[in-house]
Amino acid sequence: MSPSHDPGSPYRRATLAPRDEAPRVAPPTGTWRLALPGGRAVLVDRRASAANLGLAAVLLIVAWLSLCLGGVPLSPLEAGRALFGHGEPMTVFVVQELRLMRLAAGLATGGAFALAGCLMQTLARNRLATPGIIGIDNGATAFAVASVVGLGVSIAPPAMALAGAATATAITFGLAGGAGTRGYRFIVAGIGVGAVFGALTQLLLARVAIDTANAAYPWTIGSLNARDGEALGVLVVGLALGLVAAQWLTRPLAVLRFSDSVAQGLGIRVRACRYLALGLAVALTALAVAVAGPVGLVALIGPEIARHLSSPRGVPLVGSALAGALVMVAADLAGRLALAPIEVPVGIVTAIVGGPMLLWILLSPAMRRH
Amino acid sequence: MSVVEHTAPTRRRAGLLTTGLALVAGLAVLCLGSLLIGAGEVGPLASLATLLGSQGASDEARFVIGALRGPRTLVGLAVGAALGIAGALLQAVARNPLAEPGLLGVSAGSAFAVAIALVLGASAATLRVPVAQLGALGGCLCVLAASRLGGVGNDPVRLVLAGAVLSGLLGALTSLLLLADQRAADEIRFWIVGSLAGRRLADLQAILPSLAIAGLLTLAIGRPLAALALGERVAVGLGHHPRVVRLLAIGVVALLVGAATAVAGPIAFVGLVVPFAARALTGPDIRRTLWLAVPLGPIVVIAADIVSRLVVAPSELPLGVITALIGAPVLIAVVRARRLPTL
Repeated sequence: MSPSHDPGSPYRRATLAPRDEAPRVAPPTGTWRLALPGGRAVLVDRRASAANLGLAAVLLIVAWLSLCLGGVPLSPLEAGRALFGHGEPMTVFVVQELRLMRLAAGLATGGAFALAGCLMQTLARNRLATPGIIGIDNGATAFAVASVVGLGVSIAPPAMALAGAATATAITFGLAGGAGTRGYRFIVAGIGVGAVFGALTQLLLARVAIDTANAAYPWTIGSLNARDGEALGVLVVGLALGLVAAQWLTRPLAVLRFSDSVAQGLGIRVRACRYLALGLAVALTALAVAVAGPVGLVALIGPEIARHLSSPRGVPLVGSALAGALVMVAADLAGRLALAPIEVPVGIVTAIVGGPMLLWILLSPAMRRH
Repeated sequence: MSVVEHTAPTRRRAGLLTTGLALVAGLAVLCLGSLLIGAGEVGPLASLATLLGSQGASDEARFVIGALRGPRTLVGLAVGAALGIAGALLQAVARNPLAEPGLLGVSAGSAFAVAIALVLGASAATLRVPVAQLGALGGCLCVLAASRLGGVGNDPVRLVLAGAVLSGLLGALTSLLLLADQRAADEIRFWIVGSLAGRRLADLQAILPSLAIAGLLTLAIGRPLAALALGERVAVGLGHHPRVVRLLAIGVVALLVGAATAVAGPIAFVGLVVPFAARALTGPDIRRTLWLAVPLGPIVVIAADIVSRLVVAPSELPLGVITALIGAPVLIAVVRARRLPTL
């Protein structure tokens, strides 16, 4: 008997419902059955979609605030008019050229970091295994800095950052070897790899003239100040592709949280999904680092918020991206306003917010059981 | 059985003596190298001639050796010994082969305290040593508290993770303070990265008293610590007071790390590499580890300092960069070991 004909089976798939008749079973509690043209249907998790809508709403408000506030405070209305090119030329310049670009960089990098973090956590089955913590950010940074200070303009920072992130990932996962990625040893080995790449970055910066070193400085601390338009364009394209791929990965990843054999039994191509998720996480991290430098803790905070808000049924990939963008934009706004006219780099703000959060995760009862 | 009991310690003690002498000889060579090799224009041969008291030595060479490289080497000796002993003590107290003052946030606490004092208006010269020691004590207590929280103490790797997080958090707060206060930033810009460059003899004199006190205390608690390694009950049965010993050891670590940080800035990984190497040379006894840390610490620090002068000559690298390049692979090796050595 096929699972779809058994009304009591927990394994039924809504997409397998007979094409021309209404479903004989109600969707699982907490979900809506959304009928699509062609007789197909998807299940929409109510709590997850409510969480995503809420996050999007808050994100919209914070983004609007970040257009209004700053060295030249504007009323929301003024900012809105200037966004579309109306009002004083000075205001239009501030909003369109400065704040809008910065906002776009914040949204894209935050989303990319957090999406990568959520992917990496899920596939390593380890809440602490975000790219920043296991050394991938530092690898990307070291290579990107090398492209700025050493090799001139021949290779663009995003490409170098990709190479660096891939190298660091290969080393960390290679060192994890048979020990697996679940335990703390994997994380500490990653911290070691990150320390080596961090030292290499310092070494590269020490070798060059002060002007070149200044140009590469944002990469060592994480800031939205020196975003590069070209790298931002690459990141936006990458993030769009990543979100599409994430939609496709949502279902397999939700199953991959259990053991490999369970996933295999449910018809998931485990190996292919893993490599796709890993590649996606590495690429997104590298592209984001090429824009904003290593702001790795966003990759921890974003998914953590999303997991708290949305249902435990699925992996909150979209929610993570939204929450990450929110954290990044809010942290950047706080950094601009807190000590004005001095600007606190967004990397420092996220470290101060994310550090206690990380400690709390580490010392929480749930982690003690591992 | 009785034969083993009688001969093994004697043989090991002889081994300890020869190993120690070999290390001291190596350290002497390194010190000579540190006096002869530099980033500037005074080459090794001219330096050697000056050291040997040649008549033709230039004033420049005399200045470079007497006022720059000499004090720097002495400071390296003190800092290295302090960090090495502190690492060995912290590992014994936390019973964790990965416990390291730099990794666990003790150095970061020290640097944070100095930054706060500067922002509050203190001048760099007067207050630095005691403030740095207080900050180090705060960091140590955080470590102790974390290792007492359920489960963390039993998992060496997790304690290190918590320490690394604390370290990062304190580092970010320090940068925030320095961003807010430009005067403080200017005053400690060359100190906060961790380096031996430009340190004077006066800096060394400021920390010598605390180093002496710490050394004496270490001699006193070596035996109880060795007993503690056998377990709390054994130590109590042998007439020791584990709680007192542990607190004393923490105090010594704070004194040593605070003093080293006050002079050279936060330097990570020395306290990890030194006890690791010492244990590899003589086995797990904490007293042997402590004795060997005295020459091994300076060896690591002075060697790293020489490398930091050569790599990017004529400019210099922060010392912490070199120690991280040496120490991170050791960290990974320890973590990857199938069974972490129990302390």
